[in-house]
Amino acid sequence: MTSASIGAQADRPADLDLVRRLKDPALLLLPALAFLAFIYLLPLIDLIRISVSGPSWSSYFERVFAIPLYWDSLVRTMQISVMVAVLCLLFGYPTALLIHRSRGITQALIATAIVLPYFIAILIRTYAWMVLLGRNGPINKLLVSIGILSEPAQLLFNRGTVLLGMTAVLLPLMVLTIYSSVARLDQSLTRAALASGAGPIAAFWRVLLPLTLPGIGAGFLLVFVAAIGFFITPTLLGGPGDQMFAMHITQQADSVTSEGFLQALGVVLLTITLAVVAVAGRFLGFEFIWGGRKLTEATPTTTDRRAADAGRRSIGTSAADVIGWPLLRLFGRLPASFGTWTVGLMGGLVIAILILPIIVVMIISFSSASYLTFPPPGFSLRWYEQFFSDSNWMRAFWTSLVVAAMSAGIAIVLGASAALGIVRSSIRGKSTIMLLLVSPIIVPPVVLGLSLYSLFLRFDMVGSIFGLAAAHAIGGLPLVVVILCASLQGVDARLEQAAAVHGASSLTVFRLVTLPAIMPGLAAATFFAFLHSFDELVLTLFLSSAELKTLPLMLWGDVNYRLNPVLAVVSTLEVLLVVVGLVLARPVLATSRKAT
Amino acid sequence: MGEPAALRAMRSGDANARTPPTGRLRERDAIGSSIAVRDAVKRYGSFHAVDRISIDIEPGEFITLLGPSGSGKTTLLNLVAGFQSLDSGEILVDGKPVHNVPTHKRGFGMVFQSYALFPNMTVSQNVAFPLRMAGVDRATAERRVAETLEIMRLTEHAAKSPSQMSGGQQQRVAIARAIVRRPKVVLMDEPLSALDRRLREQIQIEIRDLHRTIGSTILFVTHDQGEALTMSDRIAVLNAGKIVQIGRPVDIYRHPSDRFVASFVGESNLIEAEILQKRGSTLTMKSRAGYVFSAESRDTIDVGRATVLVRPERIAVSNEPTANSTPVNVTSAIFLGEILRIEAQMEGGEPLLIRCTDMADRPLPTVGDRLHVSWGAADCWVLA
Repeated sequence: MTSASIGAQADRPADLDLVRRLKDPALLLLPALAFLAFIYLLPLIDLIRISVSGPSWSSYFERVFAIPLYWDSLVRTMQISVMVAVLCLLFGYPTALLIHRSRGITQALIATAIVLPYFIAILIRTYAWMVLLGRNGPINKLLVSIGILSEPAQLLFNRGTVLLGMTAVLLPLMVLTIYSSVARLDQSLTRAALASGAGPIAAFWRVLLPLTLPGIGAGFLLVFVAAIGFFITPTLLGGPGDQMFAMHITQQADSVTSEGFLQALGVVLLTITLAVVAVAGRFLGFEFIWGGRKLTEATPTTTDRRAADAGRRSIGTSAADVIGWPLLRLFGRLPASFGTWTVGLMGGLVIAILILPIIVVMIISFSSASYLTFPPPGFSLRWYEQFFSDSNWMRAFWTSLVVAAMSAGIAIVLGASAALGIVRSSIRGKSTIMLLLVSPIIVPPVVLGLSLYSLFLRFDMVGSIFGLAAAHAIGGLPLVVVILCASLQGVDARLEQAAAVHGASSLTVFRLVTLPAIMPGLAAATFFAFLHSFDELVLTLFLSSAELKTLPLMLWGDVNYRLNPVLAVVSTLEVLLVVVGLVLARPVLATSRKAT
Repeated sequence: MGEPAALRAMRSGDANARTPPTGRLRERDAIGSSIAVRDAVKRYGSFHAVDRISIDIEPGEFITLLGPSGSGKTTLLNLVAGFQSLDSGEILVDGKPVHNVPTHKRGFGMVFQSYALFPNMTVSQNVAFPLRMAGVDRATAERRVAETLEIMRLTEHAAKSPSQMSGGQQQRVAIARAIVRRPKVVLMDEPLSALDRRLREQIQIEIRDLHRTIGSTILFVTHDQGEALTMSDRIAVLNAGKIVQIGRPVDIYRHPSDRFVASFVGESNLIEAEILQKRGSTLTMKSRAGYVFSAESRDTIDVGRATVLVRPERIAVSNEPTANSTPVNVTSAIFLGEILRIEAQMEGGEPLLIRCTDMADRPLPTVGDRLHVSWGAADCWVLA
């Protein structure tokens, strides 16, 4: 039936070779790589170039380390970040176990309580803590009514609130990272340990903990790296003694004189971040950044990696022996239900910390009072009216929508083609390319904002709506790539072969088999890329103008100057957006989880 | 279950007794393509998955690629299908090279082990898929889908989604999809291995009948030697990327070319023996246990040692010594219904497997019993 075409095609092997080369899926990586090279790598390289352009290459850095303010701030940043990571681990691990052990509707509720805050803007969640801990906030009211305090006290603006706020913001990241490693475990392993005579605590110590150690490591480092670059939460919740390093960069950015010195600050922060990630990647494999499994690629380093694994394992085992057995003997006297209670209690606390602020803010948005107070004296829609009738708010709202839509568009087009290129091509160095595509996640936003600012000034793009959308897409791209790579790897190759063998051309196979299979992932990726841009504040601080104000930018201004319930209205709307998004994405997430 | 009239007419061989309605599948309606593989090589790194394989497949032939996992049979099938490209060599279909033709233009049908039915399409949409891709007009397509569904006894499931069906039904849909376009070549990649035994046997027969009906060349891959023996016109036995032997099932079974084929296809006793004497094509041989027997050989060996294949069912058993028999000790006896499977030990310690029919007048042998076995010259095969 196709003998004519068979004959005709076979006669031109030379042409075919060219066609085959043009059809190489690796070419699909080019748009995303070109995009990142121009708007991400180039500015960062430029940033480094300016930082070493002083009289001698190190002169700006010498100044940074000569001023005690910056050195102290650097040390403080490290302390706070380690503390936050420890706190997140302490509370996050039991929560991850709680999700894993609960079933049905309980599990869904707990998981939602963790995932929902994860998608709400950091600014809004920090604002919620300001409301909760404010002079007229519920905590003060409660403490006064119990009689612990005689009058409302200033609970905000100290180290404690910074730690609390940052821990609350970063907890979901920790819980989700650990959960993915707990969920991957074979359930029967714990049962086997119990059946072999290990008590619940021994089973935890000898089986569960060692096997989830990579998850713990990944969670700890992700939280630590994120905390180093934190800027919004310490600014809003901290006092003068809690200045973190990233805050100096934004403060210095306002003064024009500090060119070179400013860049040097950025490079210091970037270097520390990259060094931590590099060391972590050496031990955990760089996949920890995106929580993915290894890409199918024959790595020649498998043998030394295995050797490294063995070394680490023996250290882990001896550590477990030295610390573990005395501890076990100590804990062995505790009642058997101790573990269950600990997990339940700490998990419950975490959920309260994550959900309560959001609920309080939602209630306050319906307040009739003209200032922030909880419980509200009465309910009204006056703040909603004010929000929807204020042309500034509405303009910012629309700007945010347009920017987010454009940004999601850019991220999805570039990200989808890059994901196809990664999964379907057989080029070497896939891990490196993946690392590059995903790396914007770990670069501190302040550093990225600073570097983009120079680029945008040079090309006169500051205040351009397209420029802002493109900048937001830098962070949206990794989300899209990671989600779609997982989706594409889940596509049944046999289905595609079945379509091809029964006469479907490559394009038809993609349209009829591949596309429907990755549709859920595509929808989820679009939503997340949209949300990323919609919530983005730090880059926007650097790149917007008086005419181009996004919703987070308006919020930022108001949080700093007049804390009023309009902010609660915006927060409530954002929560609604996320909830609707998650509900729509739920079947999608369910299927993609099944696939992986 | 009602059998479609078209098929029943065909099977009973009275197709010309009544004129089949136009459009119905008729015997040898479509004649399959010939396939020639010449010096095909496919490497993964230094591993030769397919190592200079050559094979000529006749038009309309049912040929099975049989081998253990890793023998290269699936790689060879994938090369023919076009999922993988050759490192060297060529593949000709009806004399024309196809190795540069993309899969979708080769015009084959294929059945997968995992069914590979499109989950977002109904049964009839799945079956219609190849017709849609070939640009067949809607009316013709509908008619052909209906016919094919009838042949596969799936008519009442047409509107179902594949996930609502059992494994056996899903596999019949997959077969329907593979044959709906009357392809000249149908490729089958272990299509029955996901099914249970009863269903497997039933679909084996269906595929055989179907082959006779549609006349396509069928290239069938399996690691199940029983399946290969039941279904094929010819079997190609593969090992380590090479074809070890190719021939009719009966030849492969009776006259395997080497120890690998002898032990992979069917159960076998491989007995080391010394050649005492050669007269014509008949050898007189002596086993290590001292049992002297004669054997037929087409080979030109006449001195030294050789391995002799004796199939377990060719061994005659009696409780008393007979002329030319040798004693064995029973080490295990299993009653399988119509036959007995006896493991025994010869005098020299060599194990011997025996399959004999159960007989009413004979008590079941038990462990430690002494039996007397013998075989004739025609019952054994001297391996090279």
